[in-house]
Amino acid sequence: MDTQQNQVPQNTEKLKDIPKWTRRYAQNRTLTTFVLIALTGLFAMFVAVPSSLLIAAFMQGSVILASICIAVLAAIVIFLIIFISKYGGKNRGLIDQQIDQWIYGHEGTASMPAPKSTKKKKWLEGIVGAVVGICILGTMYLGMEGYLAFKYMQPVSALYFVPFLVYLHFLQCPRLGPLLLICPILYTIHAILIVAGVPVFFTGNLCMLNLALPAFGYTFLAYVIAHIHSR
Amino acid sequence: MEIDRIIHEPARLRIMMILAGLEQADFTFLATTLSLTRGNLNRHMEKLESAGYLKVKRSFKGKVRNTSYQLTQKGSKSLARYWENLDAIRRSGQP
Repeated sequence: MDTQQNQVPQNTEKLKDIPKWTRRYAQNRTLTTFVLIALTGLFAMFVAVPSSLLIAAFMQGSVILASICIAVLAAIVIFLIIFISKYGGKNRGLIDQQIDQWIYGHEGTASMPAPKSTKKKKWLEGIVGAVVGICILGTMYLGMEGYLAFKYMQPVSALYFVPFLVYLHFLQCPRLGPLLLICPILYTIHAILIVAGVPVFFTGNLCMLNLALPAFGYTFLAYVIAHIHSR
Repeated sequence: MEIDRIIHEPARLRIMMILAGLEQADFTFLATTLSLTRGNLNRHMEKLESAGYLKVKRSFKGKVRNTSYQLTQKGSKSLARYWENLDAIRRSGQP
């Protein structure tokens, strides 16, 4: 018995905690997704800005501006074709791997199980995504046309965006950690503050930022906090 | 009460505990986390794989070879049994 007692490793409680720490690390390796979201946001901006300028150019009859915008958009389309040919189809996921390797390559790879995907789930994801997309466009349209006060664009968007973010999070479990729920929580707090009369909103031409800034801003914040937590 | 000698070795115990919390981890992650040399880690992984506790997946990330490891069901059960036996020994030694 003494011999067996001597064989018991020291710090058994610390050893038993190891799976908890490795799970925390794997669930909060968020920088890859952070970079992908940033790149998507940048790309959306590169499309949105020349598109808006093109509409303005047509309305003003400015041929030079319209030509420049069309040239820029054509260049973006060519870039998109090259990008899809390199990273689409069979190579889907390659860009995630490359970004992951660039950021975390020296640490190696550790992952949690990916959620099981069925056809039914994929259909549901597509439908939910489409519905949320329509809601976002609807909110923007109502705001720009004056049917919805700029002040209430973000609180109205919280009605569908927050459940959507929570749904997305649980869709990815256990691959993602609970810290990413910071984003829907902050989005809700932001909406409550606006309704309570705190002036945290944009008006006029900047009204689109009422949706874009909280959505991207709180997402970035959640991912950065999760990354720090993983250290 | 028998202690599983394969799991009981400190480095191998840590390897099993790391993999118990994950779906899979690659060689680089294990070597970096445990601060083991590649040769040393390789030896431990071969022992665990021979015992049937690990599943090995070899692939390429671009042009670089990548080896990742996953705990098998046998490995998970053996690890659980190891801790049960160890806890029983600790309890029997308490006044």
